[in-house]
Amino acid sequence: MELFCLGLNHRTAPVEVREKFAVALTQLGSASKHLLELDGISEAVVISTCNRTEFFIASPAPPIALASLNHFLSEKTGHSLDFLHHHFYQHQAFLAARHLACVVSGLDSMVLGETEIFGQIKQAYAAALENQTTAVVLNKAFQQAFRIGKKVRTETKIQEGSTSVGNVAVDLAEKIFGHLKNSEVIVLGAGEMSRITAQSLVSRGAKSIFVANRSFDRAQELAAQMGGRAVKFDAWHRVLSQVDVVISSTGAPHAIVHAHMIEEVRRARRYRPLFLIDIAVPRDIDPACGEIEEVYLYDIDTLEQLADEARAKRKLQIRECELIIDHELEKCQLPGTSHTP
Amino acid sequence: MGMDNAYLIASTVLAAVAAIAGILSVHRGHRSRWTVLWMLAVFAFQLMFLAERGQLRKACPLMDSGEILNFLAWSLTLFYLLIGPVYRISLMGVFTAPVVTVLQLMAMIPGKMDANPQPVQNTNPWHETHSATSMLGYGALGLAAVTALMFLVLNHQLKGKDLRGELFKNLPPVPHLLISLKRLLWLGWALLTIGIIAGYLAPNPVPMHHFISGIAIWLAYAALIGTHRIRGLAGRTFSLATIVLFMVSLVLFVYI
Repeated sequence: MELFCLGLNHRTAPVEVREKFAVALTQLGSASKHLLELDGISEAVVISTCNRTEFFIASPAPPIALASLNHFLSEKTGHSLDFLHHHFYQHQAFLAARHLACVVSGLDSMVLGETEIFGQIKQAYAAALENQTTAVVLNKAFQQAFRIGKKVRTETKIQEGSTSVGNVAVDLAEKIFGHLKNSEVIVLGAGEMSRITAQSLVSRGAKSIFVANRSFDRAQELAAQMGGRAVKFDAWHRVLSQVDVVISSTGAPHAIVHAHMIEEVRRARRYRPLFLIDIAVPRDIDPACGEIEEVYLYDIDTLEQLADEARAKRKLQIRECELIIDHELEKCQLPGTSHTP
Repeated sequence: MGMDNAYLIASTVLAAVAAIAGILSVHRGHRSRWTVLWMLAVFAFQLMFLAERGQLRKACPLMDSGEILNFLAWSLTLFYLLIGPVYRISLMGVFTAPVVTVLQLMAMIPGKMDANPQPVQNTNPWHETHSATSMLGYGALGLAAVTALMFLVLNHQLKGKDLRGELFKNLPPVPHLLISLKRLLWLGWALLTIGIIAGYLAPNPVPMHHFISGIAIWLAYAALIGTHRIRGLAGRTFSLATIVLFMVSLVLFVYI
C-alpha cells in the first residue's frame, strides 16, 4: 500500500481551471467515497479550498489508481489528459506525506503561514472519516500532518505578523484601542480598498461604522453591506468627535482631512486616541494631523511596508519549517511512505 | 557587615538580575516569564531588610533617606506584584526592576543610611501610619510612573511606525496602560491623603517644610487626576506629567 497525492493549486492552475475541479464543502465526503469505486484506490481524502483541490489516495497499485483517477477527472470535467498533466502535480510516498504536512503548516498557501488552511484540511479529513473512506495509511498520514503542523506553527514564526494591509490596520487598531468592541469607524470614499479595511475592522468587532462618499447612493449601498450608516460627504466631520478610526480612500486630488478639523474636536473627544488610515493616492489626510498628540496616522505606503516586512519574515522561516517537517516525518515512519527519495 | 546590609545587597543584586534578564529576554524575542519570580525573591529580601531595620529602630524604618528609598523600592515591588498580574506581568517587571535597582543603589551611597541605627524614642501610631501609608502611596505613584514610561515607549513606537521587535509586540495596548495609570494614580493619591491626615493628627507636628512639600505634592496629583477626569488629557501629556511629578516628589522627600 502506498500513499500518493494528485492535485492542483494556485501555482499550477489559474482560477478558471481551479474552479472546474473545486468540490463544495458539503460534497467532500461523498466525493471521497466516490473515489473508492475507482480501480486501485483503497483509501481517499478529497481536499478542496479556493486555492487548491487535492486527492490523497492510498493504493496497493499506484499506477493503476493514478490512471483511473486521471480518467475520472478527465471525464468529469471534459478536459483532456494532457490538460490535466499540464496543471496537476503528483507526489508519492514520503513526498506525498511531506506535501500534506507542508499544506497543513501553511507553507504551500498563497499567503504563507495562513491559519485557515489547517481548519479546512481538518474539515476535509473529518468528512472522509465520516464516510469511512480512510484506513491505516491516510489516518496516520493526516493525524501526523496535524501534529507536525501544530509543531511548526508553535516552534517557528511562520504565522507571525500581518501580511495584508487590512490585517495590519486591524492589528494596529487593536494595539491602540485594546479591543474594537467600543470603536466607531468612519470610511471616507466607498472604494474597494477602504471597504476591505473597514470590513476587517467590523469582523474584529468594531461597534459601528459610518460611510461618507461623494455619491450618497454609493455610500448607502456600502453602509448597507457593512451594517453601517451613510453620512453626507459634506457633513462627515460632524461625526469626527465620536469616531475612533478614520479610513480614507477618496479620489480627491488634495487632502480632505486637515489638522484644524481634528484640533476643533479634540476637547469634545476628551483627547482619546484617533487612528487615521490613509489609503488614498494622492493622500487624503494632511500629514500635519499625525503631529497631534493622540493621533496615529498611517498611510498606504507604511501599511504596505509593514505587510511586506511580515511576508519577508515568514519567508525566512520556510527552511526552518521544512527541517521540522522532514525530521518529524522521518521519526514517525508512516505506512505507505517507505519509498523515501 | 550587618544582616540588614546583606539583605539589601542580595535584593539589589536580584533586582539587577531581573532587569538584565528581562531586557535580554525581550531583546531576544522571548517573553520574560522568569521576571516575576526574580521580583518575588527581591521582595522577600526587601522584607527581610526592612524587618531587620525595623528591629534596630524599634519603629517603622523610615528615619533616614536610605531607609526611605528602600521602603519606596519595597512598596514599588509590592504594587508591581499586586497589579502586574492584571496584564503583561513580565513586561511590567522588566520596566520595574531597573527602577527598584536604581532606588536601592541610591540608598547604598555612603552616608544615606545610618551605619548604627538607633532605636526611635517616643514612637506614635499616628506618626507611624503617616510614614507607612505615605510610602505605600509613593510606591503606587512610582508604579504609575513606570506604567507611564511604558505608555511613552509604546506611543513613540506607534507614532514613529517602528513596530518591529518584541518590545512592541509584548507591550499592552494603549487603553490598558492608560487605565492602569489612572487607577494607580488614584490609589497612590488616596494613600497619600490618609498619610497626610495621619501626619496632621500626630501629636508631634511634622516640620513645616515637610508639611508644605507634602501638601504641594498632594495638590499637584489632585490637579493632575482632576484635569484628566474633568477635561481629559492626551496620553502623552498625562504620562509625562505623572513621571515628572513622581521625580519631583522623590527629590523633595529624599533630599529635603
